[in-house]
Amino acid sequence: MRPARRYITLTSAVGIGVGALVVAQALLLADVIAAVFAGADVTSKDRELGLLTGVVAARVALAWVQERYGERAATAVIADLRHRVLAHAVALGPTFLRSDQRSGVTTLVTAGLENLRPYLSRYLPQLLLTAVVTPALLLVVALHDLLSAVIIAITLPLVPIFMALVGWMTQKNAMLRLASMQRLSAQVLDLLAGLPTLVALGREQGPATRVRELGEAHRRATNTTLRTAFLSSMVLELLTTLSVALVAVSVGLRLLSGSLDLRTALVVLILAPEVYLPLRQVGTQFHASTDGLAALDQAFGVLGRPLPPVGTQLAPDLRTAIIEVRNLVVRHDGRQYAAPDGVDLTLLPGTVTAVIGPSGCGKSTLAEVVLRLRTADEGSVDVIDHDGRRTALADIEAGSWLNQTAWLGQSPVLVPGSIRDNTVLFAGHIPDAELEVAARASGLAEVVAGLPEGWDTCLGSGGLGLSAGQGQRLALTRVLLTDAALVVLDEPSAHLDRAAETVVREAISALSEAGRTVLLIAHRPALAAAADHVVSLALPSTAQPSAAEVPVADARATAGAGA
Amino acid sequence: MTVATTTRGELRATLVILAPSKALTTAAVAAGATALGSAVALIAVSAWLISRAAQHPSIVVLSVAVVAVRALGVSRGVFRYLERLTSHDVALRCMVRLREQLYRRLAAADRSVVAGLRQGDLMARVGADVDLVGDVLVRGLLPFAVASVVCGAGVALLAVVLPGAGAILGCCLLVAFGLAPWLAGVAASRAHQVADETAGELSALARELLDHATELTIVGRVEQRLAGAARAEASRARALDDAARPAAWSAALSTAAMGAAVVACLYVGAAAVAGDRLAPVMLAVVTLTPLAMVEVVGPLPAAAAAIVRARLAAQRLRPLLYPTPQASSPPAACSGAVEADLHPGALSAHDVSCAWPGRRPAVTGVTVEVVPGQVLAITGPSGGGKSTLLRTLAGLLTPAEGSVSLAGTPLVAIEPHALRRLVTMTAEDAHVFTTTLRDNLLVARGKATDPELTAALERAGLRVWLEGLRDGLATALEPSTMSGGERRRLLLARAFLVGSRVLLLDEPAEHLDAAAAAEQMDELVSYARTEQVAVVVITHDPDALTRADRVLLVADGYAVSSRPDQLAVTGPAGAVPHHLSSA
Repeated sequence: MRPARRYITLTSAVGIGVGALVVAQALLLADVIAAVFAGADVTSKDRELGLLTGVVAARVALAWVQERYGERAATAVIADLRHRVLAHAVALGPTFLRSDQRSGVTTLVTAGLENLRPYLSRYLPQLLLTAVVTPALLLVVALHDLLSAVIIAITLPLVPIFMALVGWMTQKNAMLRLASMQRLSAQVLDLLAGLPTLVALGREQGPATRVRELGEAHRRATNTTLRTAFLSSMVLELLTTLSVALVAVSVGLRLLSGSLDLRTALVVLILAPEVYLPLRQVGTQFHASTDGLAALDQAFGVLGRPLPPVGTQLAPDLRTAIIEVRNLVVRHDGRQYAAPDGVDLTLLPGTVTAVIGPSGCGKSTLAEVVLRLRTADEGSVDVIDHDGRRTALADIEAGSWLNQTAWLGQSPVLVPGSIRDNTVLFAGHIPDAELEVAARASGLAEVVAGLPEGWDTCLGSGGLGLSAGQGQRLALTRVLLTDAALVVLDEPSAHLDRAAETVVREAISALSEAGRTVLLIAHRPALAAAADHVVSLALPSTAQPSAAEVPVADARATAGAGA
Repeated sequence: MTVATTTRGELRATLVILAPSKALTTAAVAAGATALGSAVALIAVSAWLISRAAQHPSIVVLSVAVVAVRALGVSRGVFRYLERLTSHDVALRCMVRLREQLYRRLAAADRSVVAGLRQGDLMARVGADVDLVGDVLVRGLLPFAVASVVCGAGVALLAVVLPGAGAILGCCLLVAFGLAPWLAGVAASRAHQVADETAGELSALARELLDHATELTIVGRVEQRLAGAARAEASRARALDDAARPAAWSAALSTAAMGAAVVACLYVGAAAVAGDRLAPVMLAVVTLTPLAMVEVVGPLPAAAAAIVRARLAAQRLRPLLYPTPQASSPPAACSGAVEADLHPGALSAHDVSCAWPGRRPAVTGVTVEVVPGQVLAITGPSGGGKSTLLRTLAGLLTPAEGSVSLAGTPLVAIEPHALRRLVTMTAEDAHVFTTTLRDNLLVARGKATDPELTAALERAGLRVWLEGLRDGLATALEPSTMSGGERRRLLLARAFLVGSRVLLLDEPAEHLDAAAAAEQMDELVSYARTEQVAVVVITHDPDALTRADRVLLVADGYAVSSRPDQLAVTGPAGAVPHHLSSA
């Protein structure tokens, strides 16, 4: 992490500079005051006053640098982290992106990492200063007056100790209350979000009182939490200020007895609050840092996940190769059962194989394994080339495999631009005639014909959106425009009516006639009828299908199971 | 500082709603000023104590100062604690009021305002904005109030001791109290603008990569997209960097002003001592007081930034807090149409065109009637205007032409609240609340008993699901973990519970397979028959369509009503286009 290292170096350098200037300022101030106090003329101290002005100027410059570059470096660190988390998350593939961690990662890269800004630009510098400047200043005090240094040295560690003690005593309570606070706050927002629903039910008036009650409960809970939470900061303020008072009284009384001179006393008095300052700042910025630390934890949690192995062997020509899946088992985080749980499948070149089954049986997972985006927990996926040489899919280099595949999912990538630009987004330059042919085969031509500006209609931000069904036709056109030997279609007719489904079925037949191997994930039996082979997946008996996910009981579809 | 000046009024208008308690606010400022004043006084008194002690007087002379120093050492922490408690309480009370007002005003607002809330992250943003505005008291206004009291006292003290020093401190504080925070505010407002303009693009790029990771991986475009995101990130960093420039000057200016105050006070003080206008013991006081004031003005730039952020948040909340009044509120005379008059009766539309306000009609010339006990299914290609029609039939949209009536009374003449209980529509995106299953159902009918709730769930096909829940009706629902099918069925159960005369459902069968969709339609038909309710349902499923009493095809802006068996004759695949061409 280069930006982070540069940032730490800069912050430390500035911190050390500030520390040195604080000492210089204290010495010069004490010098002049003591001299004038003793009756010296101010003109005899012109040199010191000049130096003092220089110190102030240098502090101004350092304040500027710290603010200017600290913020800049924080931006760089956040950008760097965001980039790496994104790249890593995408490289981890569907195993990660389709798990329940997914929404967390989206929040992390779109918003969460910004929480690092106060942590980086406020908290961390103070923490570094505490480590560097506090001991240095203490040393300077000790060189002037050992007793004051001892008082400070005794009270200094008390600050973190007492804070930790108070924190430890109140933490469990505070955590519980914090959780209830967040719940209360979320409930109010939830009611706001549900307002249209409440209006539709004619019950929008009642919850206003509930919003107030929840708010009041929230306030009371928060107040109780704060009463204890603020105790730790009170300990901090109390100890640091009281110690300065103790030092002041101690030097004052020793001045009285003549065992100390005014200059030394003033140096100690000026430096004493400065010794505590970084620690106090750490205390006040601590709150801002917790969100940042949580984001950092999460980021490293993603970056720490091992990437799937990259194969080394070049993929054979898929136009003539057989893909053989044997006893494939994939387990999922947070799910009791494996899905698929022991499936056999053989994809012969130029054939259409349909996979059917209820939601959650692992149809899409199976497709992801065949696409080499996901690794299996058990079983094997082998590729047999036309010479009969067998290679495990995991050993095949990802790029050479993906080059020969095409995939249709539920919602295609759309970028701002014309519908033509979007259709040929990944295909590069395509002659109009070829585009028309593909669009007619996918049913996109019909959509385009109905648009005000035809192929030039703008899509994406500021332009028109596509309905789910229209998006799927666009995705199918994209697939048709590739020359991929292996085509995986994940529910290509999910959002289409029967007429459009027929178009899809014809497009699949056309793909197969062109010699492509098609793996079809089908929800509706009608589509599976277009396949040469049908493989039916079931939920394992241990998995309780919810009522909303009743397995498709269709004898026609299961008849051709196996290849 | 254009953004801040135009939004100053917004914050004030929001503060009126916040209505912070005067007594509590004064108490918080007093406590804060005492705490911060203690810190400054501690240094000033200590400076005097040390200087006086250097003259070796009797200890009696010093005893008051010694006690004072120790007391000030304690009072700072104690009063700071009191200040924080009081100010947070004030802020929390304000936030409660703000949230409640927000809810009340939104509930009374035009529906389009509320509907807009559902879009994207807007909801989360409203929560954050409420927090920002509520925070303005603690983080923005209070530090300024406290600092002004302490600064005023500090300047007054120095002016009494040495007028020249007082004047110098006053001038320097003007910079540190006024100019430096103002610059920080400019930076905050610019940074906000940049973040606002670029965050959308960055999020979009990140979401595209994550949402479409599979597609992009397969077409080999991940690297290209990552590079694009990196470019966007770099240009954002440059813009943020530019925006932050005034903040650096703010920090420099604050340091310069306070540094100048210390040096100048020392110089003037020393000259005054030489000229016998100042007692030597006071020189340290005159010099170290400005030094201690650094702590007073230090937090002000951050406070100014907080105020600017709160202003911008208040600006965003404004359309929600001061929404346009409901446009279509009916005249009071019409509210006489009560439930009794309308029961029993059919929902009928005559030559209706439906359109969102200000847009072209989505469907025109709809004439249809649904009598109690019957089910009307609406079908047709996506984007054909089915949902718009359903909203019009529910009276949530005023027809552009023609009229919709219930038992002969036009919907527009029925008091909206009464209408909601007579005609219920469950939108595709209706909300599932993060609360118990029971509360989610009681939203429909507050007085429903548990057996009634269970019956509604069973009717909606959630019997097995309910049995699988550990706490039954008391189970806390987590909407994000419910499957699409479960969610739809829960909304259906809720619709059953309302007990209205007319039930309008937007795609209750989406996410269900063909068999389950057909089963659901059977249940709807039986519900309509037994409860004598008119049911209108949007569905895509061909098998479900054949089970309805009547089918309304909506395509190409027209709607054609037919019997389901006629629909079946034309064959499942070509049903929609054939039928329309024959009409």
